[in-house]
Amino acid sequence: MKTMLTALIGMFISAADLFAQQDKIDVFPAVPYDRFIVYQNLIIFWAGIIGLIVIIKIKLREIERTQKLGIDKEEKDIPVLD
Amino acid sequence: MNCPRLKSWFLERYNFDEIRDLAKQKLVPIHKYEIWYLTGGITLFLFIIQFITGMALSFYYIPYFEHAHKSIIEIVTKLNMGWFFRSLHHWGAQIAIVVLFIHVWSCLLLKAYRKPREFLWFSGFILLGISIFFGLSGYLLLWDERAFAAVRVATGGAGNLPVVGEFIKAFLRGGIDVTGDTLTRFYAFHVSVLPLITIILIGFHILLVQYHGMSVPLSVKKEECKETPFFPNLLYKDLIIWLVVLGIVVTLATLVPPEIGKKADPLAPAPENIKPEWYFLFLFQTLKLFPGEILGMNGETIAILLITAGILFFFLIPFFDRKSQRGEKSTLFTWIGVIYFLYFVIMTVIGFIS
Repeated sequence: MKTMLTALIGMFISAADLFAQQDKIDVFPAVPYDRFIVYQNLIIFWAGIIGLIVIIKIKLREIERTQKLGIDKEEKDIPVLD
Repeated sequence: MNCPRLKSWFLERYNFDEIRDLAKQKLVPIHKYEIWYLTGGITLFLFIIQFITGMALSFYYIPYFEHAHKSIIEIVTKLNMGWFFRSLHHWGAQIAIVVLFIHVWSCLLLKAYRKPREFLWFSGFILLGISIFFGLSGYLLLWDERAFAAVRVATGGAGNLPVVGEFIKAFLRGGIDVTGDTLTRFYAFHVSVLPLITIILIGFHILLVQYHGMSVPLSVKKEECKETPFFPNLLYKDLIIWLVVLGIVVTLATLVPPEIGKKADPLAPAPENIKPEWYFLFLFQTLKLFPGEILGMNGETIAILLITAGILFFFLIPFFDRKSQRGEKSTLFTWIGVIYFLYFVIMTVIGFIS
């Protein structure tokens, strides 16, 4: 009797689990800590992108400055010390 | 990192100075519309993202109707960063099509298709068509009920074309209806046929850009136009915009990951209020405007014929715009471009909210 009762309860729990199943499939980490890590990395990623943009922008400005001064072109027949 | 031995090893075999001089010789005109030159580069960058993420996903995707849906769920829920790669692939595709549309319209409004750049326009236009087919074929790979119904509608629409319609429909579906065979076929298109054609066409397109140089709009006088070297000036500008685009794609992929619907059931009725992907909405909405029968003829067939004629006219615009060919301003074709653009936007918005 005890075994039957345990089996019956087990069946009910399993059936309840079926009803409790989510309709939507998780397309994003469900654990709050994982979510936190993802959002944190997104911020770090943007910081990296902004940093790179600043570096490229500085480099570009420097190139444009040398081009404006006309000192970016290599002289031909320049004496080489090697 | 400085490796003089490695450098000299290469220099003994390849003349890098020649390549560097060639890159330095390439000049790009500077004018008030130069920002539109960047749209081509952005599209290329997004295509590269699509290739990389697509290759990663193809390691785990199973192109068989019984396992396709489950394999995507496993990619998203079980694989490390699988959700991110799938989301990146989804958003990369959406933004690539948006940028491609912007690129095509900017070329149309700036008359970049005019003589001698007709083949540039044709190759770009075909690439747009291929990208849309990339989207449709990739959408079915989800094998969920919405994708299934959308592909059934899209391939059914193609079937309404007279003479060749039935052949196109059967060819796309691999049978009478959308089945597991269609999935296998679309997978083959998505991962082998279309990428191969795309690589060839992109190569051809870039080669033509190098051959003809950048197009200068008619309103800008070529003599007054200054020029800047492509390398490094424009390349650096390209890099900046690519980084911004990468940031946007990654942010969207993280914050708005695409949902996965229920597994497709070929015997079940189509879900209510089914809508195709946003770039098909204007076609979907146009089809709705037509009654079932016009003068004893099938209304849908007439609609499809008119849409095909409209797209064909858009494709062949370099031949119709004679004024631009002669180097004169053609206001008529600017207005045609604006009307096409407004029609696309309005119909897409109506389709989205209705």
